Amino acid sequence: MPDDLDAAGAAAILSLVDSRFPGGGHAHSGGLEEAAARGLVTDPQTLAGFLRGRLHTAGALAAVFAAAAAHTARNLLSPPAASRADTNGVGEAEFARATGNGHGSTGRRQWTALDAELDARTPSPAQRAASRAQGSGMARAGRSAWPSPVLDGLLAATPRPHQPVLLGALAGIAGASPTQAALAALYLAVSGPASASTRLLGLDPFEVNAAVVALSAPMSEIAAHAAQTCHLRPADLPAPSAPALDLMAEAHDRTHRMEVRLFAS
Amino acid sequence: MKARARLVVERDSGGASVVRELRSMSPLTLLPCPPSLHDGDPDTALVHLAGSAATPLGGDVLDLAIVVGPGARLRLVGVGATLALPGQHPGPSTMSVTIEVGAAGSLEYLTEPTIVVSAADHHADLRADLAADARLRCREVVVLGRSGERPGAFHSETRLRRDGTTLLRQRLDLGGALDATPTHLAGHPVIATELLVWGADPAEAAVGDWWSLVPLAHGGSLATVLAEDTITAYRRLDTATAAHPGLAEPAAAVPVSG
Amino acid sequence: MPADHTTGHGHTHPVSFDPTATAPDPHAPRAEAGRAVRIGIGGPVGCGKTALVAALCRALGDEVALAVVTNDIYTTEDADFLRRAGVLDPERIEAVQTGACPHTAIRDDITANLDAVERLERRYPGLELVVIESGGDNLTATFSRGLVDAQVFVVDVSGGDKVPRKGGPGVTTADLLVINKTDLAQHVGADMAVMVADAHRMRRHRLPVITQSLVDTPDAPEVAAWVRARLADAAPSGAA
Repeated sequence: MPDDLDAAGAAAILSLVDSRFPGGGHAHSGGLEEAAARGLVTDPQTLAGFLRGRLHTAGALAAVFAAAAAHTARNLLSPPAASRADTNGVGEAEFARATGNGHGSTGRRQWTALDAELDARTPSPAQRAASRAQGSGMARAGRSAWPSPVLDGLLAATPRPHQPVLLGALAGIAGASPTQAALAALYLAVSGPASASTRLLGLDPFEVNAAVVALSAPMSEIAAHAAQTCHLRPADLPAPSAPALDLMAEAHDRTHRMEVRLFAS
Repeated sequence: MKARARLVVERDSGGASVVRELRSMSPLTLLPCPPSLHDGDPDTALVHLAGSAATPLGGDVLDLAIVVGPGARLRLVGVGATLALPGQHPGPSTMSVTIEVGAAGSLEYLTEPTIVVSAADHHADLRADLAADARLRCREVVVLGRSGERPGAFHSETRLRRDGTTLLRQRLDLGGALDATPTHLAGHPVIATELLVWGADPAEAAVGDWWSLVPLAHGGSLATVLAEDTITAYRRLDTATAAHPGLAEPAAAVPVSG
Repeated sequence: MPADHTTGHGHTHPVSFDPTATAPDPHAPRAEAGRAVRIGIGGPVGCGKTALVAALCRALGDEVALAVVTNDIYTTEDADFLRRAGVLDPERIEAVQTGACPHTAIRDDITANLDAVERLERRYPGLELVVIESGGDNLTATFSRGLVDAQVFVVDVSGGDKVPRKGGPGVTTADLLVINKTDLAQHVGADMAVMVADAHRMRRHRLPVITQSLVDTPDAPEVAAWVRARLADAAPSGAA
């Protein structure tokens, strides 16, 4: 998306996906710890399958909401002029009208709707909790780095936001495009579990890194798809799901209460 | 083949649930069962949904609309497994089910397994809109391939709303290379789900060996099961739903005058 | 040995890998009115952090509204020990997961610990002190100043008397260095005089060092006194 790939937005994306970004992500394995405990991930090959599956499901869902949140944040910062040709089809103007978008709007209805719709696409309570823990962790870091009335509005509407929504909002506030926000969500969806695999299974970090890089093509493909849906009403956003990941998230949560594991999810 | 079937159940002045409208179209055959012929709750309408052999085929578009009026109760039970097959016509087979349940109404929609045979491409779409105090119990079992067979593709989209709020929205894309991954089906050929908006929701998740019953964020709950075979799937589904507090409650009596 | 309280009051020190770096912290302490004083307890595995936390709970529990955050590695061992010890209402103990990186959770990405501290502050309005115990790590693991107001680094004599000499930011810059388990010195051939002298030298004779044995003084009176002084520092002027 060279049209809106500006330097400030790209730099924000680099910061958001940096493993040293202090948003609390390092304590989450995205289900990898449970998969490893069950012997489903043992080596670089099984890790590659895990990452690919996660990218197309949980990753794709995060990408959809990150792109939509980036789009929302950008619109709140500079509402599309009514007379401007609508490049995204009828949805854009309709969305703006339906949500009372415009200067001075805090976006409360947009943020609340995105939050509720992502809830509805996340049946596992453990995954909802992990998403909100990482979202509020990211918000803490985001308030320092990208202070904005748009961020204040999001946090007023949803004090413990889902991570993809918060990630997308920060990206949008920093000037990144919905595609870039989706890419960031996809990268985080696999880089976290990949990093956890080096800590839990002692996998060769070069092979693990290669497994993440090998997903570049599907990552950009899924990001482009996510960007195409970013202007839809939140209720109409896609909802890819991962049944085994959902089940493992609940099992991990239960194990937590009996014998604490290394990762929060 | 295009087929549209429609079933409307309403509550009559005597408190009984009666079939007001019934339109079958092969292969969607709706068979009401009079209260005298079954030993279930006489105030709940019982209807069987029978498919026909060898449907849906690729290119088939099947549409089933179910409307349960205020205070009415319907139990719609599938008869026999459905085989999703490839067809001579281009395009996938699709089965769309739309459900509306009015105030204090209830619907149990309990289908038999859908078996996705080799080279099939089946899309299953379920949209349910519930009034604020309506009840829904909706069970679906999908088997990927007959024994030892490489399955076709199965895509489903589930949308459950209550009083305008989305409770669940979920898309499943099965039958591809992702099935074997630890995140998707972890190699299991059978997935079963039961959607429950039925009285009290579970306070917290119940979880066991490849099953869980989880409370949804905005009400309702979802049981999900993965299994090696349908017998195990049903057993796990029963274990999961046994943890549901609402199913244990007696159905609330609806006043006749209401 | 008494704590060296002649210097250092009210000062905080940056984390530095230069063992000789003990210059005053150019950053002002993050004083937020009305929140609890946060004190970190760090140090290598087995040095006695959890026992020290239990001792502080016993010593201060009756006079200070306090709570504890533990950073266990992969069990609830530390949190369970504290709960079993009965030194504190179990509800006042929060355990956080560190994703196999105990130093990350207290230094590079303090999110999970801040969340735990804030949960405790919400649960107990008027909370005065939160003790954050790190997971056992190594000599370079120190707390971020974004997480704690002051930190204690604990080493013990059983690792040998050369430990303070090895330096590292824990030994050189922690607001208080505790040399623990002095009762074992004779058994492991550790020379206490050497350890203490090295410790003071590494800390430029400006930061306090306490030696203690919880066998001899189970309530850690000197460390408790140091903590009281930190609470007094943080109190609004006139109320101390």
